[in-house]
Amino acid sequence: MLIKLTGGRVYDPAHGIDGKVMDIYARDGRIVAKPKDTERIDQEYQLAGKVVMAGAIDMHTHIGGGKVNIARMMLPEDHRGDPVGHSELCRAGCGHAAPSTLTTGYRYAEMGYTAGFEPAVLPMNARQAHLEMGDVPIIDKGGYAMLGSDDMLLRMLAAKKDQNAINDYVAWTLHASQAMGIKVVNPGGISAFKFNQRMLDLDENNSYYQVTPREVLKTLARAVYELGVPHPLHIHGNNLGVPGNVETTLNTMLGAEGYPIHLTHIQFHSYGTEGDRKFSSGAARIAEAINQRKNVSADVGQILFGQTVTASGDNMAQFRNHAAGSPKKWVVMDIECDAGCGVVPFKYKDKNFVNALQWAIGLEIFLLVEDPWRIFLTTDHPNGAPFTSYPHLIRLLMDKTFRKEAFSRISPDAQAMSTLGSIEREYTLYEIAIMTRAGAAKLVGLHDRGHLGAGAAADITVYTDDADREKMFTKPDHVFKDGQLVVKDGSVVKVTWGATHVVKPEFDRGIEKDIAKYFDAYHTVRMEHVKVTDQHIADDGRGHVQVHECKGRREKTT
Amino acid sequence: MSALAFTLKIKPVQRVDCSPLTPDLLAGKSAKDIAATLLQSGRQQLQADQVFDISGNDSSNIEFSNSNGKLDFIGAHMSCGSVTVHGDVGSYLGLQMKKGSLTVHGNADAYAACGMAGGLLHILGNAGDFIGGALPGDRKGMRGGTVIVTGNAGDRAGDQMRRGVLLIEGDAGEYCASRMIAGTIGVMGKVGKYVGFGMRHGTILLFKPTDFHTTIQDCGHHTLPYLNLMFKSFTPLPSKFAHLSQNRVQKFGGDLASDGKGEILIFA
Repeated sequence: MLIKLTGGRVYDPAHGIDGKVMDIYARDGRIVAKPKDTERIDQEYQLAGKVVMAGAIDMHTHIGGGKVNIARMMLPEDHRGDPVGHSELCRAGCGHAAPSTLTTGYRYAEMGYTAGFEPAVLPMNARQAHLEMGDVPIIDKGGYAMLGSDDMLLRMLAAKKDQNAINDYVAWTLHASQAMGIKVVNPGGISAFKFNQRMLDLDENNSYYQVTPREVLKTLARAVYELGVPHPLHIHGNNLGVPGNVETTLNTMLGAEGYPIHLTHIQFHSYGTEGDRKFSSGAARIAEAINQRKNVSADVGQILFGQTVTASGDNMAQFRNHAAGSPKKWVVMDIECDAGCGVVPFKYKDKNFVNALQWAIGLEIFLLVEDPWRIFLTTDHPNGAPFTSYPHLIRLLMDKTFRKEAFSRISPDAQAMSTLGSIEREYTLYEIAIMTRAGAAKLVGLHDRGHLGAGAAADITVYTDDADREKMFTKPDHVFKDGQLVVKDGSVVKVTWGATHVVKPEFDRGIEKDIAKYFDAYHTVRMEHVKVTDQHIADDGRGHVQVHECKGRREKTT
Repeated sequence: MSALAFTLKIKPVQRVDCSPLTPDLLAGKSAKDIAATLLQSGRQQLQADQVFDISGNDSSNIEFSNSNGKLDFIGAHMSCGSVTVHGDVGSYLGLQMKKGSLTVHGNADAYAACGMAGGLLHILGNAGDFIGGALPGDRKGMRGGTVIVTGNAGDRAGDQMRRGVLLIEGDAGEYCASRMIAGTIGVMGKVGKYVGFGMRHGTILLFKPTDFHTTIQDCGHHTLPYLNLMFKSFTPLPSKFAHLSQNRVQKFGGDLASDGKGEILIFA
């Protein structure tokens, strides 16, 4: 089947195409070069005046794994308050902050997104996370496996095991949990919380293992790099939400010692201690550091005002913040001695000084980081706001009048502490396409997504150009997923099932002996039962695994 | 102007969500619009005139007749006017009601007056479980208004109740006033086991000797003058509670397992 998208204005930053009017052809789910004139076009879409981009990619969104289920269970009012009826095509669902799996898929697709990556797949819970993501229709999925507070790694670090063994363990984890990358959450801190530490700075020892977050970070960043995993170590740093944590974040960048790292929801890690209330913006310093250090990328984790729920592996931060939660209920728990989890509902208010400044800090970071290839558009769904608020966020970035008007409505004390009002930058469509498409695909390591060149998957979104960017990005005209029209005029017209993206770097299988022994001695299940196979993901006929290349495994270092 | 009357004319197979039929939502609507109001019933949507014979035109004064226990959400979220029901009603009667009056000449099922914030709810028959409680997952139950049950109430009456008055002239089931946060509950008949389980604040008025679980403790006999004021506030109510005058009580405190600032007063 050959389809032709005729005459659209194309934004394809991966190929440097900035608003050029051109035709795009797709055959059997892949984008192809212009075919011979003799070939019959099966379907043609007239897109004159429309904006054409690749399908958007959310590189950090909590859509699977135990914590989302806890959030759902804990917030029946979130579900009662936002019911979605079934239609001919779509099944019923509900939920504003923590929508049901099916609703998640439909809503992403209806917004022009064609992939989402779950950033906290606990290896021990990977099967559940994949089953849950397997229930998310239309979009492609993937996850980052969480390491850094697991007993096995901390033991290895405490025993000063050599880097090669750790690389093998990291690679084994990627295989076993079918992940696209490695994430570390409050390195060593989730574990330290269980030994009654309530804060852990970068150079502070975990009191039990005598290992510092700095060691964990450096070792994992190096492991990911040496294995050739395209996505750099995904870091949720120490001291999330603590005023003054801008120092920790800057030190974390230094601590990577040049290895590529990705700092996630960096807004929550960019707080200073100036001003009467000892809470201020560190955005300028963070942005300057990102501008200087080419090995660092970040996503923002913008907050937007309204009710949401925060779901995180960082039990230490969640415990610290639980009193500020609304409505008053919260969960902080251990998971199989390998990690933790905390779920706290939050209502961000524009008249609240702290919330208002958080909002401004996020936007300052967006606007002060110069290179859109290294800063990404997220709200850390659902922690800063539900993903459905992305169009609003895009408008805040692209429309300075709108932004300044919104800025004038937040807490005046927060306005006085922020430079946002004087920032004139407006994102262009090209830059938005970088942040949400080309850049995200490159960062995650998806070679065939996020661009519109021949060979790419035909994940394509078509918008009607509108000065009101929120309106434009809320309701795309057409969304194609693997060449099939799945959304028309902002509504799902066909339900398909996307792929699960993974990497499988080579490693020395000898490590399995040690891991199996460890599982037998300490865990509730055997190692063999923890591994998620391709078959497990494809079993119900709705999903499949797509393996991405790990280019250039680096020389083992001693 | 005569009361807007809905007479149930079918035997509903599934439960019917009557939440659109309140004085607030029907205000200013024509007879035709009211007849066309859609009511969710299981997977189907039914027009109001498929379910009810409709007569009258005063939408601030609504009457349901021939009602049965399949009609849920009557008077939900209402903030004005009055609703009178002849017959039984289903669950969620007066859910999150804010103002106005709601009278049922019959029995109500579970979750009546859940999350109620104001107004008067009078059930002349029996009430089901969780009257004046919170919906599952919510952290606060009834937070204002007055509820009178002439008959008996089920289990967990006033669960997580936050404010307001819940008066039960008959018996109450088990776990009455469980996890109560504040407010007043009166029970003239017997109460089941574990009254005041997990209560933090609030007042329970009991009129029959009762066994308490261990973390409710006897605090002796007292004469409490403030009771006269409270009883005075009850005098306009269409209830036996309007005629109380005694202010000598035996006081119990609890639940010591959770704050323990609640009081259970026994008039015997």
